[in-house]
Amino acid sequence: MILRETAPTHELDERQKAEAARLLENLERQVSSLKQEMLR
Amino acid sequence: MKCGNGIEARQVNELFINVDPIQAGGRLTGDAIKAIIAYGDGYSVCDNCRKPNRLDCIAKPPIAEFHKDVAAWLNMDAARMMPGARRGFQAVAHTYVSKGNPVLLTSLSHYTEFLAVEGAGGVACEIPADSNHLVTPDAAAAKIEEVKQKFGKAPVLAIIDHVDYQYGNLHDFAGIAKVAHQYDVPVLYNGAYTVGTMPVDGKVIGADFIVGSGHKSMASPAPSGVLATTAERAKEVFRTTGITGDVTGRKFGIKEPELMGCTLMGATLVGMMASFPHVKERVKHFDKELVNNRIVMEALLSIEGTKILSEYPRKHTLTRVDTTGSFDKVAETHKKKGFYFSSALNDKGIFGLIPGATRVWKFNTYGMTEKQARYLADAFVAVAQENGLPVK
Repeated sequence: MILRETAPTHELDERQKAEAARLLENLERQVSSLKQEMLR
Repeated sequence: MKCGNGIEARQVNELFINVDPIQAGGRLTGDAIKAIIAYGDGYSVCDNCRKPNRLDCIAKPPIAEFHKDVAAWLNMDAARMMPGARRGFQAVAHTYVSKGNPVLLTSLSHYTEFLAVEGAGGVACEIPADSNHLVTPDAAAAKIEEVKQKFGKAPVLAIIDHVDYQYGNLHDFAGIAKVAHQYDVPVLYNGAYTVGTMPVDGKVIGADFIVGSGHKSMASPAPSGVLATTAERAKEVFRTTGITGDVTGRKFGIKEPELMGCTLMGATLVGMMASFPHVKERVKHFDKELVNNRIVMEALLSIEGTKILSEYPRKHTLTRVDTTGSFDKVAETHKKKGFYFSSALNDKGIFGLIPGATRVWKFNTYGMTEKQARYLADAFVAVAQENGLPVK
Protein backbone atom coordinates (compact mmCIF):
# COMPACT_ATOMS: atom_id res chain seq x y z
CA MET A 1 0.00 0.00 0.00
CA ILE A 2 2.97 2.30 0.59
CA LEU A 3 3.84 2.01 -3.10
CA ARG A 4 0.28 3.05 -4.00
CA GLU A 5 0.24 5.98 -1.59
CA THR A 6 3.56 7.31 -2.83
CA ALA A 7 3.23 6.71 -6.60
CA PRO A 8 4.70 7.82 -8.90
CA THR A 9 7.79 9.24 -7.16
CA HIS A 10 7.93 6.79 -4.25
CA GLU A 11 9.56 9.35 -2.01
CA LEU A 12 8.80 8.00 1.44
CA ASP A 13 8.51 10.26 4.46
CA GLU A 14 9.98 9.22 7.81
CA ARG A 15 6.78 7.49 8.97
CA GLN A 16 6.51 5.56 5.71
CA LYS A 17 10.19 4.59 5.85
CA ALA A 18 9.70 3.22 9.36
CA GLU A 19 6.61 1.29 8.24
CA ALA A 20 8.44 -0.08 5.19
CA ALA A 21 11.35 -1.19 7.42
CA ARG A 22 8.93 -2.95 9.79
CA LEU A 23 7.19 -4.75 6.92
CA LEU A 24 10.46 -5.83 5.30
CA GLU A 25 11.84 -7.13 8.61
CA ASN A 26 8.65 -9.10 9.12
CA LEU A 27 8.93 -10.51 5.61
CA GLU A 28 12.53 -11.54 6.18
CA ARG A 29 11.49 -13.35 9.36
CA GLN A 30 8.76 -15.21 7.52
CA VAL A 31 11.10 -16.19 4.67
CA SER A 32 13.63 -17.40 7.20
CA SER A 33 10.96 -19.44 8.95
CA LEU A 34 9.83 -20.98 5.65
CA LYS A 35 13.44 -21.91 4.84
CA GLN A 36 13.80 -23.67 8.18
CA GLU A 37 10.50 -25.53 7.87
CA MET A 38 10.59 -26.50 4.22
CA LEU A 39 14.26 -27.16 3.58
CA ARG A 40 15.24 -28.98 6.77
CA MET B 1 6.39 -11.04 -12.53
CA LYS B 2 3.97 -13.20 -14.48
CA CYS B 3 0.72 -14.67 -13.12
CA GLY B 4 0.50 -17.19 -15.92
CA ASN B 5 0.99 -17.62 -19.62
CA GLY B 6 0.91 -14.10 -21.07
CA ILE B 7 -0.53 -12.56 -17.91
CA GLU B 8 1.77 -9.89 -16.56
CA ALA B 9 1.30 -8.79 -12.96
CA ARG B 10 -0.61 -5.50 -13.02
CA GLN B 11 1.22 -2.65 -11.32
CA VAL B 12 -0.78 0.36 -12.51
CA ASN B 13 -1.66 1.56 -9.03
CA GLU B 14 1.84 0.96 -7.69
CA LEU B 15 3.64 2.85 -10.46
CA PHE B 16 1.16 5.59 -11.41
CA ILE B 17 -1.36 8.01 -10.02
CA ASN B 18 -4.49 6.45 -11.52
CA VAL B 19 -7.16 8.99 -12.48
CA ASP B 20 -9.37 6.60 -14.47
CA PRO B 21 -12.90 7.82 -13.70
CA ILE B 22 -14.31 4.38 -12.93
CA GLN B 23 -11.31 2.88 -11.15
CA ALA B 24 -10.60 5.33 -8.36
CA GLY B 25 -13.03 4.09 -5.70
CA GLY B 26 -12.51 0.41 -6.44
CA ARG B 27 -8.81 0.20 -5.69
CA LEU B 28 -8.34 -2.51 -3.11
CA THR B 29 -7.23 -2.02 0.46
CA GLY B 30 -4.31 -4.09 1.74
CA ASP B 31 -6.73 -6.29 3.66
CA ALA B 32 -8.77 -6.97 0.52
CA ILE B 33 -5.62 -7.95 -1.39
CA LYS B 34 -4.79 -10.47 1.34
CA ALA B 35 -8.39 -11.72 1.40
CA ILE B 36 -8.59 -12.46 -2.31
CA ILE B 37 -5.45 -14.56 -2.13
CA ALA B 38 -6.68 -16.44 0.94
CA TYR B 39 -10.20 -16.99 -0.44
CA GLY B 40 -9.43 -17.38 -4.14
CA ASP B 41 -10.47 -21.04 -4.30
CA GLY B 42 -13.89 -21.45 -5.90
CA TYR B 43 -16.21 -22.39 -3.03
CA SER B 44 -13.90 -21.11 -0.30
CA VAL B 45 -16.62 -19.43 1.74
CA CYS B 46 -18.68 -22.61 1.84
CA ASP B 47 -16.38 -24.54 4.22
CA ASN B 48 -18.75 -23.86 7.09
CA CYS B 49 -22.07 -23.53 5.28
CA ARG B 50 -24.73 -25.10 7.50
CA LYS B 51 -28.53 -25.10 7.46
CA PRO B 52 -30.41 -23.12 6.21
CA ASN B 53 -27.70 -23.31 3.50
CA ARG B 54 -27.73 -19.85 2.15
CA LEU B 55 -24.75 -17.60 1.56
CA ASP B 56 -25.97 -14.67 3.66
CA CYS B 57 -26.50 -17.01 6.63
CA ILE B 58 -22.89 -18.28 6.86
CA ALA B 59 -21.35 -17.44 10.23
CA LYS B 60 -17.70 -18.31 9.50
CA PRO B 61 -16.22 -16.28 7.89
CA PRO B 62 -18.72 -13.72 9.28
CA ILE B 63 -20.80 -13.30 6.13
CA ALA B 64 -24.14 -13.13 7.96
CA GLU B 65 -22.83 -10.42 10.27
CA PHE B 66 -21.44 -8.52 7.27
CA HIS B 67 -24.83 -8.48 5.55
CA LYS B 68 -26.45 -7.07 8.70
CA ASP B 69 -23.68 -4.50 9.10
CA VAL B 70 -24.00 -3.29 5.51
CA ALA B 71 -27.78 -2.88 5.85
CA ALA B 72 -27.35 -0.94 9.12
CA TRP B 73 -24.57 1.20 7.64
CA LEU B 74 -26.91 2.27 4.81
CA ASN B 75 -29.77 2.65 7.33
CA MET B 76 -31.82 0.06 5.49
CA ASP B 77 -33.39 -3.14 6.82
CA ALA B 78 -31.91 -5.86 4.63
CA ALA B 79 -29.02 -6.22 2.23
CA ARG B 80 -27.64 -8.75 -0.19
CA MET B 81 -24.32 -8.69 -1.95
CA MET B 82 -24.61 -8.83 -5.72
CA PRO B 83 -22.23 -9.50 -8.62
CA GLY B 84 -22.19 -5.81 -9.51
CA ALA B 85 -24.64 -2.92 -9.23
CA ARG B 86 -26.24 -3.95 -12.51
CA ARG B 87 -27.45 -7.19 -10.96
CA GLY B 88 -29.12 -5.10 -8.27
CA PHE B 89 -30.98 -3.11 -10.93
CA GLN B 90 -31.89 -6.36 -12.62
CA ALA B 91 -33.29 -7.98 -9.45
CA VAL B 92 -35.48 -4.97 -8.69
CA ALA B 93 -36.64 -4.48 -12.29
CA HIS B 94 -37.46 -8.19 -12.60
CA THR B 95 -39.54 -8.01 -9.42
CA TYR B 96 -41.58 -4.89 -10.20
CA VAL B 97 -41.61 -4.38 -13.97
CA SER B 98 -43.83 -6.29 -16.37
CA LYS B 99 -44.11 -6.08 -20.14
CA GLY B 100 -45.02 -2.58 -21.29
CA ASN B 101 -44.71 -0.97 -17.85
CA PRO B 102 -43.21 2.54 -17.81
CA VAL B 103 -40.05 2.96 -15.71
CA LEU B 104 -38.57 6.31 -14.76
CA LEU B 105 -34.90 6.78 -15.65
CA THR B 106 -33.01 9.98 -16.43
CA SER B 107 -31.18 11.40 -19.43
CA LEU B 108 -27.96 10.71 -17.50
CA SER B 109 -28.78 7.14 -16.48
CA HIS B 110 -26.20 4.40 -16.86
CA TYR B 111 -26.83 1.96 -19.71
CA THR B 112 -27.18 -1.00 -17.34
CA GLU B 113 -30.31 0.60 -15.91
CA PHE B 114 -31.79 0.62 -19.40
CA LEU B 115 -30.82 -3.01 -19.92
CA ALA B 116 -32.40 -4.02 -16.61
CA VAL B 117 -35.65 -2.34 -17.67
CA GLU B 118 -35.44 -3.88 -21.13
CA GLY B 119 -34.84 -7.34 -19.70
CA ALA B 120 -38.03 -7.06 -17.68
CA GLY B 121 -39.99 -5.83 -20.70
CA GLY B 122 -40.41 -2.28 -19.41
CA VAL B 123 -40.40 1.02 -21.26
CA ALA B 124 -37.68 3.60 -20.48
CA CYS B 125 -39.03 7.06 -19.67
CA GLU B 126 -36.20 9.55 -19.13
CA ILE B 127 -36.42 12.60 -16.92
CA PRO B 128 -34.47 15.21 -18.88
CA ALA B 129 -31.56 16.90 -17.13
CA ASP B 130 -31.53 20.71 -17.20
CA SER B 131 -28.96 22.96 -18.88
CA ASN B 132 -26.64 22.52 -15.87
CA HIS B 133 -26.80 18.74 -16.34
CA LEU B 134 -28.85 18.32 -13.18
CA VAL B 135 -32.00 16.23 -12.76
CA THR B 136 -34.50 18.09 -10.58
CA PRO B 137 -37.63 17.14 -8.61
CA ASP B 138 -39.69 19.49 -10.80
CA ALA B 139 -38.52 17.70 -13.92
CA ALA B 140 -39.35 14.37 -12.27
CA ALA B 141 -42.88 15.55 -11.47
CA ALA B 142 -43.37 16.77 -15.03
CA LYS B 143 -42.15 13.46 -16.44
CA ILE B 144 -44.43 11.42 -14.18
CA GLU B 145 -47.39 13.51 -15.34
CA GLU B 146 -46.32 12.94 -18.96
CA VAL B 147 -46.06 9.18 -18.34
CA LYS B 148 -49.51 9.13 -16.74
CA GLN B 149 -50.95 10.84 -19.81
CA LYS B 150 -49.24 8.43 -22.18
CA PHE B 151 -49.61 5.12 -20.31
CA GLY B 152 -52.70 5.82 -18.23
CA LYS B 153 -50.73 5.05 -15.07
CA ALA B 154 -47.69 6.21 -13.14
CA PRO B 155 -44.30 4.53 -13.62
CA VAL B 156 -43.97 1.25 -11.71
CA LEU B 157 -40.41 2.05 -10.66
CA ALA B 158 -37.92 4.92 -10.68
CA ILE B 159 -34.16 4.35 -10.93
CA ILE B 160 -32.29 7.53 -10.05
CA ASP B 161 -28.52 8.07 -9.92
CA HIS B 162 -27.40 10.21 -7.01
CA VAL B 163 -24.14 10.97 -8.83
CA ASP B 164 -24.23 10.36 -12.58
CA TYR B 165 -21.41 8.74 -14.52
CA GLN B 166 -21.25 11.41 -17.22
CA TYR B 167 -20.67 14.61 -15.23
CA GLY B 168 -20.25 13.35 -11.70
CA ASN B 169 -22.99 15.77 -10.68
CA LEU B 170 -24.83 15.36 -7.40
CA HIS B 171 -28.57 15.27 -8.06
CA ASP B 172 -31.34 15.98 -5.57
CA PHE B 173 -32.23 12.35 -5.01
CA ALA B 174 -34.22 13.03 -1.84
CA GLY B 175 -36.33 15.64 -3.62
CA ILE B 176 -36.96 13.34 -6.58
CA ALA B 177 -37.85 10.42 -4.26
CA LYS B 178 -40.33 12.63 -2.42
CA VAL B 179 -42.05 13.51 -5.69
CA ALA B 180 -42.07 9.86 -6.84
CA HIS B 181 -43.57 8.68 -3.57
CA GLN B 182 -46.43 11.14 -4.01
CA TYR B 183 -47.36 8.98 -7.01
CA ASP B 184 -46.63 5.73 -5.11
CA VAL B 185 -43.62 5.03 -7.32
CA PRO B 186 -40.90 3.01 -5.52
CA VAL B 187 -37.47 4.52 -5.99
CA LEU B 188 -34.14 2.80 -6.48
CA TYR B 189 -31.11 4.84 -5.46
CA ASN B 190 -28.17 4.19 -7.75
CA GLY B 191 -25.18 4.82 -5.52
CA ALA B 192 -22.53 3.37 -7.81
CA TYR B 193 -20.42 6.50 -7.24
CA THR B 194 -21.53 7.25 -3.67
CA VAL B 195 -21.97 4.06 -1.62
CA GLY B 196 -18.47 3.53 -0.27
CA THR B 197 -17.11 6.97 -1.02
CA MET B 198 -19.49 9.31 0.81
CA PRO B 199 -22.12 8.90 3.55
CA VAL B 200 -25.45 7.42 2.40
CA ASP B 201 -28.48 7.17 4.70
CA GLY B 202 -31.35 5.34 3.02
CA LYS B 203 -34.04 6.57 5.37
CA VAL B 204 -32.97 10.20 5.15
CA ILE B 205 -32.93 10.20 1.35
CA GLY B 206 -36.15 8.18 1.09
CA ALA B 207 -34.82 5.25 -0.90
CA ASP B 208 -36.84 2.08 -1.30
CA PHE B 209 -33.75 0.37 -2.68
CA ILE B 210 -30.09 1.26 -2.52
CA VAL B 211 -27.70 -0.18 -5.05
CA GLY B 212 -23.95 0.22 -4.67
CA SER B 213 -20.99 -0.98 -6.67
CA GLY B 214 -18.23 -2.83 -4.88
CA HIS B 215 -15.69 -2.53 -7.67
CA LYS B 216 -16.52 1.08 -8.41
CA SER B 217 -16.73 2.57 -4.94
CA MET B 218 -16.21 0.02 -2.17
CA ALA B 219 -12.56 -0.91 -2.65
CA SER B 220 -13.59 -4.37 -3.80
CA PRO B 221 -12.81 -6.85 -6.56
CA ALA B 222 -15.09 -7.10 -9.59
CA PRO B 223 -17.85 -8.01 -10.01
CA SER B 224 -19.31 -6.97 -6.68
CA GLY B 225 -22.08 -4.76 -5.39
CA VAL B 226 -24.87 -4.41 -2.89
CA LEU B 227 -28.65 -4.23 -2.98
CA ALA B 228 -30.27 -2.96 0.23
CA THR B 229 -33.92 -2.34 0.88
CA THR B 230 -36.64 -1.74 3.44
CA ALA B 231 -38.34 -4.50 5.44
CA GLU B 232 -41.48 -4.03 3.34
CA ARG B 233 -39.70 -4.32 -0.01
CA ALA B 234 -37.38 -7.10 1.19
CA LYS B 235 -40.39 -9.45 1.29
CA GLU B 236 -40.84 -8.80 -2.42
CA VAL B 237 -37.38 -8.54 -3.93
CA PHE B 238 -35.81 -11.08 -1.56
CA ARG B 239 -38.82 -13.43 -1.65
CA THR B 240 -37.96 -17.11 -1.25
CA THR B 241 -38.51 -19.90 -3.74
CA GLY B 242 -41.84 -21.68 -3.99
CA ILE B 243 -41.12 -24.01 -6.88
CA THR B 244 -41.48 -27.80 -6.67
CA GLY B 245 -40.18 -30.40 -9.11
CA ASP B 246 -43.08 -32.34 -10.62
CA VAL B 247 -41.18 -35.65 -10.74
CA THR B 248 -38.94 -35.44 -7.72
CA GLY B 249 -41.09 -33.21 -5.55
CA ARG B 250 -37.95 -31.32 -4.68
CA LYS B 251 -38.14 -27.91 -3.02
CA PHE B 252 -35.29 -25.51 -2.47
CA GLY B 253 -35.57 -24.19 1.05
CA ILE B 254 -35.09 -20.47 1.50
CA LYS B 255 -33.15 -19.76 -1.67
CA GLU B 256 -34.05 -16.43 -3.24
CA PRO B 257 -34.93 -16.52 -6.97
CA GLU B 258 -33.76 -12.95 -7.70
CA LEU B 259 -30.36 -13.89 -6.33
CA MET B 260 -30.34 -17.28 -8.06
CA GLY B 261 -29.79 -18.86 -4.66
CA CYS B 262 -26.34 -17.82 -3.52
CA THR B 263 -24.82 -14.84 -5.27
CA LEU B 264 -21.49 -13.30 -4.46
CA MET B 265 -19.12 -15.99 -3.27
CA GLY B 266 -15.43 -16.53 -2.64
CA ALA B 267 -12.79 -13.89 -3.23
CA THR B 268 -15.14 -11.13 -4.35
CA LEU B 269 -17.31 -11.37 -1.25
CA VAL B 270 -14.47 -11.73 1.22
CA GLY B 271 -12.64 -8.91 -0.56
CA MET B 272 -15.66 -6.67 0.07
CA MET B 273 -15.80 -7.79 3.67
CA ALA B 274 -12.10 -7.13 4.23
CA SER B 275 -12.36 -3.60 2.84
CA PHE B 276 -15.58 -2.78 4.65
CA PRO B 277 -14.10 -1.39 7.91
CA HIS B 278 -11.83 0.87 5.82
CA VAL B 279 -14.75 1.91 3.61
CA LYS B 280 -16.92 2.76 6.63
CA GLU B 281 -14.15 5.00 7.89
CA ARG B 282 -13.28 6.69 4.61
CA VAL B 283 -16.81 7.87 3.84
CA LYS B 284 -16.52 10.13 6.89
CA HIS B 285 -13.70 12.02 5.18
CA PHE B 286 -15.21 12.85 1.80
CA ASP B 287 -14.59 16.54 2.50
CA LYS B 288 -10.86 15.81 2.30
CA GLU B 289 -11.40 14.26 -1.11
CA LEU B 290 -13.07 17.45 -2.31
CA VAL B 291 -10.16 19.53 -1.01
CA ASN B 292 -7.76 17.38 -3.05
CA ASN B 293 -10.06 17.62 -6.06
CA ARG B 294 -10.07 21.42 -5.76
CA ILE B 295 -6.27 21.50 -5.92
CA VAL B 296 -6.40 19.76 -9.30
CA MET B 297 -9.39 21.75 -10.58
CA GLU B 298 -7.71 25.07 -9.83
CA ALA B 299 -4.63 23.96 -11.72
CA LEU B 300 -6.69 22.91 -14.73
CA LEU B 301 -8.63 26.17 -14.68
CA SER B 302 -5.36 28.10 -14.62
CA ILE B 303 -4.69 26.75 -18.12
CA GLU B 304 -6.39 29.23 -20.44
CA GLY B 305 -9.22 27.82 -22.53
CA THR B 306 -10.02 24.94 -20.16
CA LYS B 307 -13.65 24.57 -19.09
CA ILE B 308 -15.29 22.46 -16.41
CA LEU B 309 -18.43 20.80 -17.76
CA SER B 310 -19.45 19.34 -14.39
CA GLU B 311 -21.15 21.50 -11.75
CA TYR B 312 -18.64 23.78 -10.06
CA PRO B 313 -17.58 23.99 -7.23
CA ARG B 314 -17.40 20.24 -7.33
CA LYS B 315 -19.47 18.10 -4.99
CA HIS B 316 -17.91 14.86 -6.22
CA THR B 317 -14.45 13.85 -7.37
CA LEU B 318 -15.54 12.46 -10.78
CA THR B 319 -15.26 15.40 -13.15
CA ARG B 320 -15.81 16.11 -16.85
CA VAL B 321 -13.69 18.78 -18.49
CA ASP B 322 -13.53 20.40 -21.90
CA THR B 323 -10.03 21.17 -23.11
CA THR B 324 -10.98 21.95 -26.71
CA GLY B 325 -9.70 25.49 -26.07
CA SER B 326 -6.40 24.35 -24.55
CA PHE B 327 -4.85 20.87 -24.88
CA ASP B 328 -6.76 20.14 -28.10
CA LYS B 329 -5.20 23.16 -29.81
CA VAL B 330 -1.78 21.58 -29.33
CA ALA B 331 -3.07 18.32 -30.84
CA GLU B 332 -3.81 20.11 -34.12
CA THR B 333 -0.11 20.46 -34.88
CA HIS B 334 1.61 17.95 -32.59
CA LYS B 335 3.33 15.02 -34.35
CA LYS B 336 1.61 12.61 -31.96
CA LYS B 337 -1.73 14.38 -32.55
CA GLY B 338 -4.05 13.97 -29.57
CA PHE B 339 -1.98 11.14 -28.18
CA TYR B 340 0.67 13.61 -27.01
CA PHE B 341 -1.47 14.49 -23.99
CA SER B 342 -1.93 11.07 -22.39
CA SER B 343 1.62 10.18 -23.45
CA ALA B 344 3.09 13.23 -21.68
CA LEU B 345 1.04 12.47 -18.57
CA ASN B 346 2.12 8.80 -18.66
CA ASP B 347 5.73 9.96 -18.77
CA LYS B 348 5.05 11.92 -15.58
CA GLY B 349 3.49 8.90 -13.88
CA ILE B 350 -0.18 9.68 -14.51
CA PHE B 351 -2.47 6.90 -15.80
CA GLY B 352 -6.12 6.65 -16.69
CA LEU B 353 -6.91 9.22 -19.37
CA ILE B 354 -8.25 7.85 -22.65
CA PRO B 355 -5.32 7.87 -25.10
CA GLY B 356 -5.92 10.46 -27.82
CA ALA B 357 -8.63 12.38 -25.94
CA THR B 358 -7.92 16.12 -25.83
CA ARG B 359 -11.41 17.59 -26.12
CA VAL B 360 -13.89 16.27 -23.57
CA TRP B 361 -12.63 13.81 -20.98
CA LYS B 362 -13.25 12.66 -17.45
CA PHE B 363 -11.04 11.93 -14.51
CA ASN B 364 -11.41 11.08 -10.85
CA THR B 365 -9.22 12.24 -7.97
CA TYR B 366 -10.79 9.94 -5.37
CA GLY B 367 -8.38 8.27 -2.97
CA MET B 368 -5.33 10.43 -3.68
CA THR B 369 -3.13 11.80 -0.97
CA GLU B 370 -2.77 15.59 -0.89
CA LYS B 371 0.80 15.16 -2.14
CA GLN B 372 -0.46 13.16 -5.12
CA ALA B 373 -3.15 15.76 -5.85
CA ARG B 374 -0.49 18.49 -5.91
CA TYR B 375 1.72 16.32 -8.12
CA LEU B 376 -1.19 15.78 -10.55
CA ALA B 377 -2.03 19.49 -10.56
CA ASP B 378 1.60 20.35 -11.32
CA ALA B 379 1.72 17.70 -14.05
CA PHE B 380 -1.27 19.20 -15.91
CA VAL B 381 0.27 22.67 -15.72
CA ALA B 382 3.69 21.37 -16.78
CA VAL B 383 2.25 19.62 -19.86
CA ALA B 384 0.48 22.88 -20.77
CA GLN B 385 3.63 24.95 -20.37
CA GLU B 386 5.82 22.47 -22.23
CA ASN B 387 3.45 22.81 -25.17
CA GLY B 388 3.24 26.60 -25.13
CA LEU B 389 -0.21 26.97 -23.65
CA PRO B 390 -0.78 30.11 -21.58
CA VAL B 391 -1.19 29.52 -17.86
CA LYS B 392 -2.69 32.20 -15.61
